[in-house]
Amino acid sequence: MLKIEAQPWAVMVEHGRACFPRECCGILVGSAGDAGDNVVTLAIACTNAYEGDQKDRFELDPRDVIKAERAAREQRQGVVGFFHSHPNEDAYFSATDLKFSAPGYSNVVMSIRDGEFSHAKCFIANFDQTAAEPEELHYA
Amino acid sequence: MPKILIPTPLRQFAGNNDTVDVAGVATVGEALGALVTQHPDLRKNLYNDEGKLRSFVNIYVNDEDIRYLSKEKTEVKDSDTISIVPSIAGGGR
Ligand SMILES: [Zn+2]
Repeated sequence: MLKIEAQPWAVMVEHGRACFPRECCGILVGSAGDAGDNVVTLAIACTNAYEGDQKDRFELDPRDVIKAERAAREQRQGVVGFFHSHPNEDAYFSATDLKFSAPGYSNVVMSIRDGEFSHAKCFIANFDQTAAEPEELHYA
Repeated sequence: MPKILIPTPLRQFAGNNDTVDVAGVATVGEALGALVTQHPDLRKNLYNDEGKLRSFVNIYVNDEDIRYLSKEKTEVKDSDTISIVPSIAGGGR
């Protein structure tokens, strides 16, 4: 289960709206507790580093991930997942999302329709990235 | 000695450590080898069946991606920090 506090959730939705009609992306920092029970206390809105049409693609800059990891460790927390948006599409985990994921992280996908938040879902890729399991998602 | 930062999902395979120190290593490859010797469950999470780093695994020495240095032959000093950084992308298409 992934629980997102109100402040990081607001950051995520605003990033999704601001990037529309392009995909947004970012990093989720939270308590590095037992898997399946993470609380997100910080969402970091990142620049989409994909070189090309970003209406249906995103890429995180690994340097942003390193920075987030360092900041998280100072708070005795960790990077627990990532988020991105699907402009005018539902919040599913696509084959592309799965192929370029990393196992064990929570991946929040937000559907942004006509520039406004519609719905969100969360997924975790399995060990060999052949499938993604839905993860229960709670947000404030 | 160089230290390796373990990302959150992999800590369960590293004795729940967030950092692992590796002694007596001169290169990134040796450091990662020492890591998976200490914590064998990490091996299949980091390497594929051909012994290559899996596609989502980026390795950084301090702020530098080893792909732009000497890859796994990149030298490491005692003061260096090695980061295992997930590579993340995707798209609705
Ligand atoms: Zn996606």
